[in-house]
Amino acid sequence: MKKTMTLNLTDAEMQVLQDLCDKKDLSKTAVLRQALRLYQLVDVRLQQGGKLFFEDETKKEKAELMVL
Amino acid sequence: MAAELLDRIDELHLRAVETDWIPQIINHIRQLIDQGQPRQTWPQSWHWNWRDKVDRINGLLAFQTFAIMCEGQLQGLMQMNSARSLCRLPEQAGKHLAYVDYVETAPWNRPNIASKPRYRGVGITMIRAAIEHSRDLGFHGRIGLHSLPQSETFYANCGMTDLGIDGTYENLRYFEMTSSQADALSG
Repeated sequence: MKKTMTLNLTDAEMQVLQDLCDKKDLSKTAVLRQALRLYQLVDVRLQQGGKLFFEDETKKEKAELMVL
Repeated sequence: MAAELLDRIDELHLRAVETDWIPQIINHIRQLIDQGQPRQTWPQSWHWNWRDKVDRINGLLAFQTFAIMCEGQLQGLMQMNSARSLCRLPEQAGKHLAYVDYVETAPWNRPNIASKPRYRGVGITMIRAAIEHSRDLGFHGRIGLHSLPQSETFYANCGMTDLGIDGTYENLRYFEMTSSQADALSG
């Protein structure tokens, strides 16, 4: 069962959404649903004590991403 | 005989694994040991614990599970993950795919366990379900998976592209399916 909602976005947000759609070959709905899945997954893992890192192998840099 | 594909693994399925599948798999392994067969001949998914797998992903939107029932018996299980990785094939690199974390067929349907498998087509039904799930996600049928060595031929025969051994994931062979390959398999 799917439900419909209206979403209000700024021009900048809409542009980012459109860019992601083009880049990822996804519809706007698919991008937002994927974002929700990822956000929930990250949130649950952080609640369990995990940490989220970005690693640049060439520069040997590792930075923790703070999800607020 | 009508088989039923369910988009959720529930408690009844987990109990069926524990009471019907595992004893047969253990019995088969005992026979192999008695025959002096090497460990490589054992069913390579013998150590999978579906209850643990399902418990770990409970409530997470990124995961979807499937079960196939036929004549009141559990015939197959699958777990999919939409947040694991992106496509690797050059023509679709960086795009989203639905990743098959685990798929398993009942022991009585496996030619390497049962001399006369009861049902054929459980594996291909699961792959078609994976493609349909990918489409539902908006991923156009793109799927990917790492195969146990005993299943590599099956995935190649499904029309998936073999990208070779993946040294970053237990040296398992990685297979990926494009939208057009998915269309060719499932229409």
